[in-house]
Amino acid sequence: MAAAAPVANHAELRALIGQHKRWDAIFAVCGLLALMVGVLTFAALFVDMALDGFGRLSWDFFTSYPSRRPGQAGILSAWVGSTLVMVVTAFFAVPLGVAAGVYLEEYASKNWVTDVIEINITNLAGVPSIVYGLLALGLFVYQFGFGQSILSAGLTLALLILPVVIVATREAIRSIPQSIREGSYALGATQWQTVRYHILPYSSAGILTGVIIGMARAIGETAPIITIGALTFIAFLPPSPITSQPPFVSFEWLMSPFTVMPIQMFNWTSRPEAAFHANAAAAGFVLVIMTLAMNGLAIWLRYRLRRNIKW
Amino acid sequence: MTEHASKQYDLDLGSIRSRVLAMGGLVESQIRRAIDSLTTGNVALSDEVIAADHKVNAMEVGLDGDCSQLIVRRQPAASDLRMIFAIMKTVTDLERIGDEAQKIARMAKNIHERGTSAPPVVEVRHAADAAISMLRRTLDCFARLDADAAAEVIRDDAGIDTEFRSILRQLITYMMEDPRTISTALEIVWIAKAIERIGDHAKNMAEYVIYIVKGTDVRHTGAPKSGFA
Amino acid sequence: MSDLLVTKAEARNLNFYYGDFRALKSISMPVHERKVTALIGPSGCGKSTFLRCFNRMHDLYPGNRYEGEIVLHPDNTNLLARGVDPIEVRMRIGMVFQKPNPFPKSVFENVAYGLRVRGEGSRRRIEEKVEQSLQDAALWEEVKDRLHEPAYNLSGGQQQRLCIARALATDPELLLFDEPTSALDPIATASIEELMHDLKERVTILIVTHNMQQAARVSDFTAYMYLGDLIEFGVTDELFIKPKMKQTEDYITGRFG
Repeated sequence: MAAAAPVANHAELRALIGQHKRWDAIFAVCGLLALMVGVLTFAALFVDMALDGFGRLSWDFFTSYPSRRPGQAGILSAWVGSTLVMVVTAFFAVPLGVAAGVYLEEYASKNWVTDVIEINITNLAGVPSIVYGLLALGLFVYQFGFGQSILSAGLTLALLILPVVIVATREAIRSIPQSIREGSYALGATQWQTVRYHILPYSSAGILTGVIIGMARAIGETAPIITIGALTFIAFLPPSPITSQPPFVSFEWLMSPFTVMPIQMFNWTSRPEAAFHANAAAAGFVLVIMTLAMNGLAIWLRYRLRRNIKW
Repeated sequence: MTEHASKQYDLDLGSIRSRVLAMGGLVESQIRRAIDSLTTGNVALSDEVIAADHKVNAMEVGLDGDCSQLIVRRQPAASDLRMIFAIMKTVTDLERIGDEAQKIARMAKNIHERGTSAPPVVEVRHAADAAISMLRRTLDCFARLDADAAAEVIRDDAGIDTEFRSILRQLITYMMEDPRTISTALEIVWIAKAIERIGDHAKNMAEYVIYIVKGTDVRHTGAPKSGFA
Repeated sequence: MSDLLVTKAEARNLNFYYGDFRALKSISMPVHERKVTALIGPSGCGKSTFLRCFNRMHDLYPGNRYEGEIVLHPDNTNLLARGVDPIEVRMRIGMVFQKPNPFPKSVFENVAYGLRVRGEGSRRRIEEKVEQSLQDAALWEEVKDRLHEPAYNLSGGQQQRLCIARALATDPELLLFDEPTSALDPIATASIEELMHDLKERVTILIVTHNMQQAARVSDFTAYMYLGDLIEFGVTDELFIKPKMKQTEDYITGRFG
């Protein structure tokens, strides 16, 4: 519109506005279509998988070991394995990631060394997961001698999601206004007191969100787990952490062989019988539900923990 | 004086100051015409002076209102505060001078309507000229913010007081010589008193100028010596 | 001022550098005990910088350097000396900030924080001190029934008074106010000024304000600063009616370019 002179009257003005609004509407429609592509694709996949596998869901499915007969196969060892690996992952990723994030934000001086570290951490998040698997194979499985165990898997996945946790921690801490820190210091608090009473509590929502999102990703990782040697067919569970004899707690389960959900699914999908495909679909359905549940938990926790926060 | 950051403030203050000077000019002409009406016996002139006093009052009301507005808008401090304070007091003194001029005109009218023999007005004329000079010089000091000249004006008030007392003695003698002249003589006494009061008001205004410039309140302290810091 | 003036703190030839930039130029000035001293001046004159030297807030950021002394009486300690711990300084000197910054905690926890930092363990003593501080800040009546509600539910003026109570809870010797009412409406501002008038019976106050009328209203002494220099320091009434320096005159009459 090369209007050299300003609009002469109201009618022209209205026409001009109408033209601009049409572009508004066009863009809104395009945006909606783009969104629908993603949403509908996911919905289609999910519904398809649900239709295939829903029939297989039953109490037996959850409590049975895998079997050569598709009708009797279940995901017991898989979901127990996934859960235990997630526990180990969280156990290592959370303290390491949070401590590193707090250190980088609150304690480290802002110089080029810190910048280099920051860049490297962000890059780590983009490293292909199979590379982590190879690293774990060489380091944890052979060098440290942890073997092909839950401990190795947990450590590997912890490394994988460590950048996510660190970045989430840093973002959460950065969003705390400087005025809160100054308010704490002005009352004579030390750095650690400020971190303990203010920084960590106020950033806990963001940190937890990051942790859970990281875990939701880790639960579906297949490549690194395969690389370090998770078994595909196990008909036993790792030893229970709670024993009947003193000291009533056992860590044997850490060194036990295991399998996880994605691997079990992969195994079933590669079998020729169609019935196994139904199993795989059912397992996939369970996996997606688990992921959605974790994300839901993240959202709810964020809401609860951010109730008092006004920034 | 450097200008305010707000041009409007400068304009408002400048407008107030020039209207104070205009009021001073009007009041000065009132005194002059009142004395003229006394010496020439022009009763019509006396009436004009009496009627014109309402203009002086209107100017007082207007200026006081504008000063209040300026205080509300600008919350003046330091020299601006002293200026506004002094202006408000100066306006009061000018209005009183206007009242004195009106009184002179009234007395003059009474004297000439009574029509007795010519009263001795030469000394009165002289005292009036001295008072008008004080007023004009004070207004000049206000315009130029000259504290030294203001100090001189303050000293000259003593002269008018002396002249008043001398006029009084003369009139007493006059009254004793011829009792029929007592009414007229008394009216001249009021006129002389009015002139003496005009001198006092001009002295007050000069004291305010010193307050604006130096920040010291020299009222009721006696005449300051020349060349003070 | 008929009563005797006791100096609570004194800046002696204070210079301050942000890196290479000299923000404060040889400032020497007394702060009298149980009086309110105001710092006025145009933006960038260094008044907030000067204020923050008193509780070593500049130490939180890299690249800052102090030269000269700030001496606190009666023990004659130089707050800026290398051997003096900034944490210790901040325990003796409190600060209230420009924008109210209560913590996202309950009203009670906000006021109690200073006590917790000092290791006060007795619940009873903490409760007493919290009530006392809220009374001193003229806030007790309004919050006594909602001590454990979030501080963010309070209005702006109440939040600022909460911050004042928080600073008072630790019995500071000197209270620093950094433009405490510039984010508040006129009624909240008036209540804070009223509060300052009561507080100065107990605590020495140093306040930075860009509102000259506020300085004229609340302070006993005023210092005018310009571009890092202390231009004039004097009794407030005298400075505002008959300032000694032409620069001060120009600033307070708005003739400042």
